[in-house]
Amino acid sequence: MKDIASYTLEALKRAGADKASCRVASGRKDEFNIEANQFTLMRTVFFDDIHMKALVGGRKGVIIINKSDRASIDEAVKNCVAIARSAEPDECEDIAPLIENKDFDNRSGDGKADMDGLFRRTKEYLENVKEFFPKIIIESFSSHCNIGEAAYVNSNGVCFSQKNESYSFSSMFVGKDGEKSSSFNFGGANLANMNTPFLDSGMHRRLLEESEKSINTKMLDKKFTGKIIVTPACDDMIWGTILQNFLGDRPMIEGTSRWKDALGTSVSDRKLTLRAVPLHENIVGGQRFTIDGFATQNVDFISEGILKSFALSLYGANKTDKPRADTSPYNLEVSAGETSLDEMIKGIDRGILLNRFSGGSPGASGDISGVAKNSFLIENGKITDALQETMISFNILDAIKNISAISKERVNSGASILPWCCFDGITVSGK
Amino acid sequence: MLSDLISENKKHFKDHTELRAQENTTKRVTLLAGNMVSNAQSKKGGVSARVYRGGIYGFASGAEYTRESVKNVLAAATENAIFMDSNIKKGEPPLPRIENAPAKIELQKPIFEDIPQSVLIDYAHALDRLIEKKYKNLSSRTIVADALYKEKLLTVSDGTDSHMFQPRAMVYAWLTAETSDGVPVDLFESFSHVGRFDEFFKKPEALEEQLDKLYAALMDKREGVYANAGLRKCVLHPDLAGMLSHEAVGHTVEADLVLGGSVAAYNLGKQVASELVSMTDFAHTALGKTCPLPVYVDDEGVPAEDAKLIENGILVGYMHNRESARHFGVKPQGNARAFEFSDEPLIRMRNTAILPGKDKLEDLIASVDDGYYLVKTGNGQADSTGEFMFSVDLGYEIKNGKLGKAIRETTISGVAFEMLKTVDMVSDDMAWEISGFCGKKQSMTTSMGGPALRCDMNIGGR
Repeated sequence: MKDIASYTLEALKRAGADKASCRVASGRKDEFNIEANQFTLMRTVFFDDIHMKALVGGRKGVIIINKSDRASIDEAVKNCVAIARSAEPDECEDIAPLIENKDFDNRSGDGKADMDGLFRRTKEYLENVKEFFPKIIIESFSSHCNIGEAAYVNSNGVCFSQKNESYSFSSMFVGKDGEKSSSFNFGGANLANMNTPFLDSGMHRRLLEESEKSINTKMLDKKFTGKIIVTPACDDMIWGTILQNFLGDRPMIEGTSRWKDALGTSVSDRKLTLRAVPLHENIVGGQRFTIDGFATQNVDFISEGILKSFALSLYGANKTDKPRADTSPYNLEVSAGETSLDEMIKGIDRGILLNRFSGGSPGASGDISGVAKNSFLIENGKITDALQETMISFNILDAIKNISAISKERVNSGASILPWCCFDGITVSGK
Repeated sequence: MLSDLISENKKHFKDHTELRAQENTTKRVTLLAGNMVSNAQSKKGGVSARVYRGGIYGFASGAEYTRESVKNVLAAATENAIFMDSNIKKGEPPLPRIENAPAKIELQKPIFEDIPQSVLIDYAHALDRLIEKKYKNLSSRTIVADALYKEKLLTVSDGTDSHMFQPRAMVYAWLTAETSDGVPVDLFESFSHVGRFDEFFKKPEALEEQLDKLYAALMDKREGVYANAGLRKCVLHPDLAGMLSHEAVGHTVEADLVLGGSVAAYNLGKQVASELVSMTDFAHTALGKTCPLPVYVDDEGVPAEDAKLIENGILVGYMHNRESARHFGVKPQGNARAFEFSDEPLIRMRNTAILPGKDKLEDLIASVDDGYYLVKTGNGQADSTGEFMFSVDLGYEIKNGKLGKAIRETTISGVAFEMLKTVDMVSDDMAWEISGFCGKKQSMTTSMGGPALRCDMNIGGR
């Protein structure tokens, strides 16, 4: 792996790059597919991906190929330097400095795919769903085994490698009873090995139960403003949006982030601590080096309501003159709160338990609206009816200032570790 | 151009087999507030094989494309098919043969001279300068110039072999401004064509008229008000009708989702829309013109035909692959498509559209006393229940038949087969949208179209 990366790097320098970097990922992915409760496909994909970057006088060119033979690399290198020369110079373009090189072994086993285990767990999952959740139809399911290596090198002498072995599954399903069906929902987990039944991973069992319960739904007849409990399954709606719209390169470089000058100030309720945790012991397959060549760290974005870090790359940091975040924003953790989920529900007169959100991507303002899916009405401290055609509207920046409770319980999906979070002041409307 | 290293293997196929060599090339330049944040090319290709045995497929792919690697991939796919057949024992018979199919459809690229990256770079900078100079009240802007080439060679055990090449060029422009109290608002426009980038994007000035409209709409949106949440009378611009045809109806009538529990399973032959609504997934020719993304043969070797979905409000059909067509006892019509060489074919839409009617857009608006004209959408999602949602990036109030204030970003939703029954006016024009990608497991180029519609829609807001 390192040989291919080093060969590419030397070729880039010989072709005229002042600075250069190369990432290589190689391996094999095996997959079982189920559709409509039946096995449909077994799939094997061999991959060799090379991502090369050349800087020529501050001008950047990037080429991505999926072939690792010398002729393909040589042609790509020539092209990479040529497109760099066509670009406008940008003094903020750079590559990572040499700090400390390291080889990481991120495998949970011996690096040999446990295909027997993967097939056994997949078959067991199908049988378990049929037995314990007779009203569930698995619309689309895939289980995966990923075995491979990755490497990063650059012309400052940075050199990282990482060996990977991980398993995962994702399942999309509906509850069905005669002609009636629930909304589809989905769930999954990243797993270090095949020791645990899929059904017991993350909050999968609970999601299947709730899909069966949401076959018969009720329409809200009135608009109200109240509380919503966002479950760990609905993580992207709040936490993903915060990273994308307010902390990442694009809003910060454009200057449209509402938090561009908020570092060190209060941006949310004090109960909220949000961090990226690729190195957490319960995260499976967390990246050990960033795509721009820094060893990853766990990074606090918001700590007890105070904005501690943006999610900027090297380029974004240089462009905005703000600090970089050497982390992988795909592995998020929200600190547990002091309220049990039961207490949280009991404390709501009228609100929603939100399992899935189907909505538009919020713009720079943070306004967001969409449909509550696989969700339940909470009335007088109890979960009552499953909801149909119910819309919620709110501003995400206002919502995180109005967190009324965070649960003690959290769900570890292998990709993230998240609690249930209750937000107040949300507009909820039916037909 | 891809050399043919696959068809010589056909004589060795025992089970139903598809062998595909493919190369996707993407060129992209992105300017963010004038900064070139992306100047990249991606070239990914290889070979894949899919083998059907006893009711289950085995699939394998590899990036290397040599005679030996083709044989290895074919062997790996066969091995996977045998493993699944022996362990699951579904016992399904072989797939029916495709009768009377042409042996091969050859749409090789003509002499196609590729363009250097500098064409995209120069165009993006020129467009960026035009926007910066002309539109004074912007706080930011983003320009993306994209070129995508897709070449496929397919050989199948039965059906139609093919050699396809499809170039696609796209330009995206995001404009951002701030409201009087400093809240950012943005709008986006896409320009897309099938062909080489410089055949369509010669000078940025050619887009000026559309950009003027986009900027004017953004200035309206700066003063936007929140929509009044609830069920409202709405006029959908053709762009939203296209999204409606794709998301709200199209996905629910894909046969794999029908088998997976979609609401459409119980509605075949039933009235699911007003009699004014007809809808087709066109293969390659619609209303006498070549479709935006013509498909002549799919990745299972099935010659492509139009799939009629709704006729005068009646649900008349689903979209199929070969296996689902057998299940439902109908003829497959070429909807099984794969995006990259390493993807297996899935049931996908092609050019899905609601057909135009007889009304004028102005009359649709004039007929609404209190409602909304919804103009631009950013994304949409559908559900097995037929419930759908689209984001609305631009819309206007309608008061007493006239357009009023712009509204802030919101979302509309409904249940497709209920909402379509409320359609009571359909415009006589039609627009296609081809800049988006559908994300059903794999990314896929699709086009969608439709006329303006008047209907009842649930709208989010305050």
